[in-house]
Amino acid sequence: MDKLIDDEMLVTQFKSGSQKAFDELMKRYERKIFGYLLRSVRNYEDAEELTLEVFFKAYRALASWQPKAKFSTWLYTIASNLAIDYHRSKARKPVYMLEDEDVIEARVVATDISSNPEKQLEEKERGRIIREAVDELSSKQKAVFMLTRYEGLQIKEVAETLGMAEGTVKIHLHRATKKLQTLLRPLWENNEI
Amino acid sequence: MPKCNKSEAQAIDYVYGELDASQVVDFEHHLSTCDNCTRNVNAYKHVLHLVDEAEAELTPHIIAPRNLEAKLYRRLAEVPPVKPTLHSRLSDFATGLLLTLREQKVVSFCLFIFAVISIAFFVGNPFRPAPTIDMSQIDSADARIEQYRHQDIQRSMEDVLRNKHLRNSDGWDTVSQLNRVKDQAQGTNWANIAKKHLKNVHSEL
Repeated sequence: MDKLIDDEMLVTQFKSGSQKAFDELMKRYERKIFGYLLRSVRNYEDAEELTLEVFFKAYRALASWQPKAKFSTWLYTIASNLAIDYHRSKARKPVYMLEDEDVIEARVVATDISSNPEKQLEEKERGRIIREAVDELSSKQKAVFMLTRYEGLQIKEVAETLGMAEGTVKIHLHRATKKLQTLLRPLWENNEI
Repeated sequence: MPKCNKSEAQAIDYVYGELDASQVVDFEHHLSTCDNCTRNVNAYKHVLHLVDEAEAELTPHIIAPRNLEAKLYRRLAEVPPVKPTLHSRLSDFATGLLLTLREQKVVSFCLFIFAVISIAFFVGNPFRPAPTIDMSQIDSADARIEQYRHQDIQRSMEDVLRNKHLRNSDGWDTVSQLNRVKDQAQGTNWANIAKKHLKNVHSEL
């Protein structure tokens, strides 16, 4: 039995009143959805809040949901819409996990004590610059880029998730890649990254 | 150097692995002769490598949110539950049935066979082509029925006249028999003939 049928069966079980079926679905996808939202909003607490919102909406709508696409695609659709709304409503630059900055630093030191702390800070700065460049992408370009690159979705699945034609997804992906190249090229040419 | 006929989009598709096998072979052959495309492909690969590295720094922090389940059920308890509509209930039933049939292949097959036999028994063989209707036959059948009707009326009229002339039947009997023929012959010339005879019989009475 493949995973798609498994998810569908769990949805059917949930519809017939099994709470455990939804818990199982949540267990399967909470980390993935949280990861996608964290990359999207760059803020730990907000990503957590949005993940809760995704499952809240899914729970409320699941009773009337028809399996036209995969369950995971549907969850990514809810998550993408929430992320786009988040960027629209906040209309601000993402906060780079400020509340977890100390945790990250401690983790970096703890994972590799032997390495040079100066180099680590340089790498951290480089990572921040690159992520800022990613955040310069439009919300749709970013959603397409993230879903394709880090969530392992095919172009067709991304199209279903974001409600776009496959051609449009490709156009967004091309523009995102070219924009990143334009933004990052001066930095690597000057050996800054 | 030959002019480059490949688009930048193709270079990006190549980097993302979106070209099919034959296109990859073609594009890689092109790369061996085109510096511009090679430069582009290397630049895109480098960009993606940098972004992947930067994003990988987040990976250790991507863990399942704490107490998500408890938070969700607390939140759900604050709002009234959604009542399923009739339409959603019906479609759920259909979906459930479909899924069950997909799982239980033997049962599905038996149900299919049972359905075919039932249809064949109550309706007729579903695989037999529907009989074609010959309209010319219908026309000739109608004409034949009409012809038989005329023959019946004619026979009745002959009986009435035979009774009247050969058997000297009662005048009122003849009138009632002619009236019957007249009713029988509604819409035909026989009705007029019957009327004429009735007039004659009445004058004789």
